[in-house]
Amino acid sequence: MVDHTFVGHSTPRIDGVEKITGAAPFTDDLDFGPDLLHAEVVASPHAHARILGIDTYLAEQVPGVVKVVTGKSFQSTFGLYLEDRHIFAQDRVRFVGEQVAAVIARTRTAAKRAARMVIVSYEVLPAVFDTDAALADGAVELHPDLADYGRVPWFHPRPGTNIAHWRKLRKGDVAAGLRDADLVLEDTYTVPRYAHAAIEPHAVVAELSVAGRLTVWSASQSPYTQRNLFAEALGLSHRDIRVVTPYVGGGFGGKAGVTMEIIGAALAMTVRGHPVKLHWSREQEFVNTYQRQGLRAHLTIGARRDGTITALQHTLHWDAGAYVEYGANVVNAAGISATGPYRIEHVQLDSLCVYTNLPPGGPYRGFGYSEFTFGLESHIDRLAHGLGIDPVEFRRRNAVVGGDELPYGAQMNPSGLLEAIDRAADAIDWGIEQPAPSPTVRVGKGIAAFWKAPAMPPNAGSAAFLKFNEDGSVNITVSGMEIGQGYLTAMAQIAAEVLSVPPDRIRVETPDTDRNAYEWQTVASHVTWGCGNAVLAAANQARDRILDTVHRALGHDVASLYLVDEQVRSTTDPDLALPLREFVVTGLEQPSDGTFKGGPVVASGSFMPEFTSTRSDPETGQGGKPNVHYTVGAAGLVLEVDVETGRIAVRTVALAVDAGTAINPVAIEGQIAGGVLQGLGTVLYEELRFDDGGRLLNPTLTDYKLPTASDIPDRVIPIIVEVDQPDGPFGARGVGEHTMIPIAPLVANAVEDAVGVRITSMPITAERLYLALTAEDG
Amino acid sequence: MGHAVALKVNGESWSLEVEPAELLLEVLRSRVGIKSPKPGCERGDCGSCTVLLDGRSVRSCLVLAVEVDGHELTTVEGLGIDGLTELQQRMVELSSFQCGYCAPGIVLTATELLAVNPRPERHEVQAAMSGNLCRCTGYAPIIDAVLTAAATAAATTAPEV
Amino acid sequence: MTISLDLAYHAPASLDETLEILSEQAGRTVLLAGGTDVVPSLRDDLISPNRIVDLKRVEGLGDLAVIDGALHVGCLVTFSDLIGSPAVHARLPVLAEMAGMVASVGIRNRATLVGNICSAVPSCDAGPLLLALGARVHLVSREGVRTVDVDDWFEGPRRTAIRSGEVVTHVTIPLPASGHGAAYARLSRTRGEDLAQACVAVVLEPGDRPRIAFGAVAPTPVRARRIEALLHAQGLDAGAIDAAVGLVAEEVAPITDVRATRRYRLAMCEVMLRRAVTAAAGRAAGDGPVHGTPLM
Ligand code: FES
Ligand code: FES
Repeated sequence: MVDHTFVGHSTPRIDGVEKITGAAPFTDDLDFGPDLLHAEVVASPHAHARILGIDTYLAEQVPGVVKVVTGKSFQSTFGLYLEDRHIFAQDRVRFVGEQVAAVIARTRTAAKRAARMVIVSYEVLPAVFDTDAALADGAVELHPDLADYGRVPWFHPRPGTNIAHWRKLRKGDVAAGLRDADLVLEDTYTVPRYAHAAIEPHAVVAELSVAGRLTVWSASQSPYTQRNLFAEALGLSHRDIRVVTPYVGGGFGGKAGVTMEIIGAALAMTVRGHPVKLHWSREQEFVNTYQRQGLRAHLTIGARRDGTITALQHTLHWDAGAYVEYGANVVNAAGISATGPYRIEHVQLDSLCVYTNLPPGGPYRGFGYSEFTFGLESHIDRLAHGLGIDPVEFRRRNAVVGGDELPYGAQMNPSGLLEAIDRAADAIDWGIEQPAPSPTVRVGKGIAAFWKAPAMPPNAGSAAFLKFNEDGSVNITVSGMEIGQGYLTAMAQIAAEVLSVPPDRIRVETPDTDRNAYEWQTVASHVTWGCGNAVLAAANQARDRILDTVHRALGHDVASLYLVDEQVRSTTDPDLALPLREFVVTGLEQPSDGTFKGGPVVASGSFMPEFTSTRSDPETGQGGKPNVHYTVGAAGLVLEVDVETGRIAVRTVALAVDAGTAINPVAIEGQIAGGVLQGLGTVLYEELRFDDGGRLLNPTLTDYKLPTASDIPDRVIPIIVEVDQPDGPFGARGVGEHTMIPIAPLVANAVEDAVGVRITSMPITAERLYLALTAEDG
Repeated sequence: MGHAVALKVNGESWSLEVEPAELLLEVLRSRVGIKSPKPGCERGDCGSCTVLLDGRSVRSCLVLAVEVDGHELTTVEGLGIDGLTELQQRMVELSSFQCGYCAPGIVLTATELLAVNPRPERHEVQAAMSGNLCRCTGYAPIIDAVLTAAATAAATTAPEV
Repeated sequence: MTISLDLAYHAPASLDETLEILSEQAGRTVLLAGGTDVVPSLRDDLISPNRIVDLKRVEGLGDLAVIDGALHVGCLVTFSDLIGSPAVHARLPVLAEMAGMVASVGIRNRATLVGNICSAVPSCDAGPLLLALGARVHLVSREGVRTVDVDDWFEGPRRTAIRSGEVVTHVTIPLPASGHGAAYARLSRTRGEDLAQACVAVVLEPGDRPRIAFGAVAPTPVRARRIEALLHAQGLDAGAIDAAVGLVAEEVAPITDVRATRRYRLAMCEVMLRRAVTAAAGRAAGDGPVHGTPLM
C-alpha cells in the first residue's frame, strides 16, 4: 500500500465544531422573516378511495388562511424512475395519509386549524395490503394507467396487474443445478416495513419570486435531482430553479429523490412572492415520505456434500406501496444481485415490484440488500448446518473473488471477501464456546457475509469546483450531501493529498445548485467513489495549473516539480520552495522582466462511469454492466438470550468491510458503529405496523422503538479490509450502507446457535422469540 | 391572551409576550432566535429539543413558554462562550457525531450528567443518555467522549500528590 | 406540531387562590405540574380544556419529607427529586428504583409522581408501586380536605377519584418497617427510554401480608390480592412462589396492543413476579440485588 499524507489517516470531521456548537444550520433553522407562510396538508383517511369532491369553503374562512390548494392546480405526473405520482391526489387516493389538499396560512396554528376544516368526500374502494392480495386474481388494480406512465428503459411493468416492475435474471439451468445437489433447502422469509427515522424530520421552504424564479431550501440528499423533477413537474426551466440544501439531519435514503419537497415547491407557485414552509411532524414523516419496503422472499438453494452451491432460486415479492417511482429501482437492484456474494452456476432471480395500498416504499440504507440478505444469509447458514459444514467454511468455499463471472455476465471487481470472513470470524473467537453467565441465559454466535453495489443509472455523474484563496486555503463546492457520513471531510482529504494542503485548510460546502457543480444524488454509497473522482480530477487540474505557472515563470521542467507542505518543490533544484499562498491567486513574478504569470487557480472536475450499461435481455437479465462494482464484507456476532423472557443482549459485533482504500478510517469506524446499531434496530425492535384498514399503528417514536444508548452491543469491532478499487479515488469504494446489511441474519443465525430456534420473519423481538421458544416446547 | 414572560437565556435577559399555547421550543427558535434545540418528535421521545432549565435538562417541546417566567435557560450556544467545553472538545476529537442533529441535546444532557456525577461509570452514561435518540452514531463515540471528558476533568482537578 | 387550542393560563401563588380559580364558573380546566403528559395531550387534541392552572408557583406543594412515619410527597415533587433524595434512598429505596425507570432524565426532571397517578394511564409506573406501598392521596377543595386510599384512586384509563374543583396536594407513603424488602420490575421493549409493557411492584414486610401490584396489564394498576394471601399463608419458599406464579392469570387482564400481546404480557407477569419476589426477599434478608439492577 502506498503511504499517503492525508488519505488513510483518521481525520477529525471538518464539520465537527459547527455541529458540536449547535451552529450547523438545518433547513428548519433558516429564517425567512415575517413574510413566511406556513402550509399544512390535508391527508386521506382511507387506504383506497375515489375522491368525490373537496369543499374548501370553511377552511378558507379561518382567519390567517391565505389559500387552499387542491390537485386541480397540479395535474402533471412525476417520478424518479417511473412517473406514477401526482403532487396532490387527483381522482383517487391510494394510501392513508396521502396528500389531497393543502392550506397555506400566516401561522402554523391557522394552517393546522383550517386543514381540519377542508371537507373531502370519498367513495371507499377495496384495498390490498400485502403482496399476496395484490397479486391474486381479480385483485383491485391500483394503477389502471400503468402502461402510460413514463419510465426508464430498464423497467418492465405488467399493465393490467399490480406489478410495476419485474426484474428477471436467468443463468444456467436451475432445475439441473438442484438435481445435482445433495441437499436442497426451500423456505420463505418475511421482512416488514421500516422507517428511516432520521432524527431531523423532512422540511422544505420554497419561494417563487415575483420575477418567476423558484428557490427551494430542503433537507435533501438529492438537490440536483430535485431541481430536475421540479422543472419537469412544474414546467420551469432548470436555469430558473435554485435548490439550497444546508446540513441534513440524517438521510439513510429517506431524504433521497423527492417526497414532500415537491408539495412545498408546488405551493410556492400559488403564492408568488412569499416563502412557504412545510414541516413534517414525526407522524407525517413516518407515513408520507418513503418507507422501507416489505419483502416476502421465497428461496431454494441446492448444494453438494463438498459444500459447493449448485443452484439458487430467489423469488422476491416487494410490498412497494401506493407509488413506486423510486422503490421500483430498489426492486431492480435486488433482482440483479440477490445471489449474495457467492459464485453460483445456476441462478434464477425474480424480483417483483408490487403495488399495495400502503405508504410509498423507497430506498433505505442497503437499497434492497438489507432486506433480501436476511433470508439469504439465514438460508446459507441452514444449508451449512444441513451439510454438516462449518458456516464460515461454507461461505469461504463459495465466496465470490475478483475476476469471477457475475450472474449477469460481467466480471467481479477485486474483492477482499475471504479476508473479511476470516477476520470477522477470528474477532468473535468463532468455534470457541463461551460460557453462559446465568442459568436462564444461552449464548450464541453468528456469521454472515454481504455485498452491495451502488444502484445508479448508467450515466450518474458527479462534478466539483475548486478554488484557491489568497492565504493558500482552498474552497471546494460539490453537490453531494453531508448527511452525516463524513463526506465533506473525505473530499477535503482527497484534495489535500493532491495539493498538500491539510484538510483543515480546506472548506467543502454543501449544495446550492446555483453555485455548486452537478451531482446526481447522495445515495448508493457512491459519493466517496464518484464525487471523490470528480474532486480528484479538480485537484489534479489545479495542481497542473500550479506547476504550469511555475514552469512558465521560472522555467523549471514540470516533470521535476511536486507539491509538499503547501509548497512547490523540485526534484532537481533543492533550493526551490515556493509557498502556494504566495502565488495561487496573485501569480508568480517572472524574474526577467517583472511581469506575472499564472492567475487565480480555479479548477473543476467531473466524473461519470463510462463503462456501465443497463441494456440487458428482459427475460434473462444477461448482458450489460448495470453495476460499477461491489463492496463486500462479513460480520460476526455474539449474543445472549434470556430464555425466560426472549430478551436478547448483544455482546460483540465484529464487522469487516472492504473499503478499497479507507480515505478516513475514523469515519468508516463511525459507519460501522452506526450501521450495526441501525441494523440491530430493525432486527430487535423496529417494525411499522398497520391496522386492517392500512392505518399506521405506531407513527411515533413512542411506539416505533429505536435503539437507545442502553441498547448498544458491549463491543463493536470495526475491521477495515483494503483491496484496492482500481478506478476509485486512491483506490477507495463506498461503505456507508453496507455496515447495516448483514445484521439481521447475523442475529437470526446467532439466535439459532443459542437456542436452536430458526426465526424466518423479522423482527426478532423479545416477544417474538419468547413465543417461538414456547411454541417449540409445546 | 398574551402573557408577559421574563427569562434569562444564556445569561441574557429577555422579556417576551407569549400565548399560553406556545411551546418553549417554538418560542426559543422563532422568537429568541436560538436554533440549537431542534424538533425531532415534539412529544418528548427523542431529546433533540433539550435545554437546561435552571441547570436541569428538560424537553422544550413539553414545556409551555409561559411556564418559564422568571427562570434561566441554557442552550448549547451558552456553553461555549469561551470556546468549546472539555466535553465538546472530546466530542470533536472523537468524531462523536455524524449528521449532528442530535448533538445539541446530547451535549446538554451529558453536561448535566457530568455536573451531577463527575465520574460516571459507562453504564451510568448509557442510562443518562438513553432518552436522547441518535440514529447515526451507534452512541459508542458519544459515550467514549463523555467518559474521556470526565477522566480528563478528574485528572486536571486532582490534588497534587 | 403546534397546539391549536385557545387557552387561558393561570399561575396562582397560593392554594386558596388556586381553589378560588377552580371554583369560578365551570370551565374545562387542566391542572399543570410537570406538563410531560398534559402538553402532548394538548398537542394531540386528547384533551381540550379552555384553561390551564399551573401549580408550580403555589407555596408548599414541592415538599418531600418524612413526617410521622410516612413519606410526604408534594404534588410538585419530580421523579428526579425522588432519585436525588437521601431520605428516599435510606428509607424507601424502591421508590427511587421505580423513579429511575421512568422515561428519561429530561422527563424525570419535570414529571411528577402525583402527576403520574393523576394522568392515570394504564402503563403508569408510580401506580403499582404506590398500591403496593399502601399510599394515600390527599386532596383539597373549597369544601375542605379529603384523603383517598390509593386502592380506591384509579377508576379506569385516565380516570381517577379526583372530583371537579379538587387539587391533589400530596401523597403520603407509610414507610415500611426496617428489614422490609421491596422490588419494582418492569418489562419494556428497549432497555432505554420506553413505556412499560407490564410491571410489578412487590413489598415484603416482616410478619406482615406481602403487598403486590401489577401495572399495564389491566385498565388500571391492580393489587394481586390472591397472590398476596397465598404468599402470606405459605411463605416465600420456592414452592409458594411457584404457586403464586400460577395465580397470575387470575389477577391480571392484559390486552393485546401495539406494545405487546396479551399472551406475552401474561407470561412476563409470571416471570416478573418470580424475579421481583425473589429480589425483594433477598433485599429483606440483606443480600438481594442492588436497587436499580434491572430484573428483566
Ligand atoms: S422534540 Fe422534544 S423530545 Fe423530541
Ligand atoms: S448524529 Fe445524526 S442523529 Fe445523532
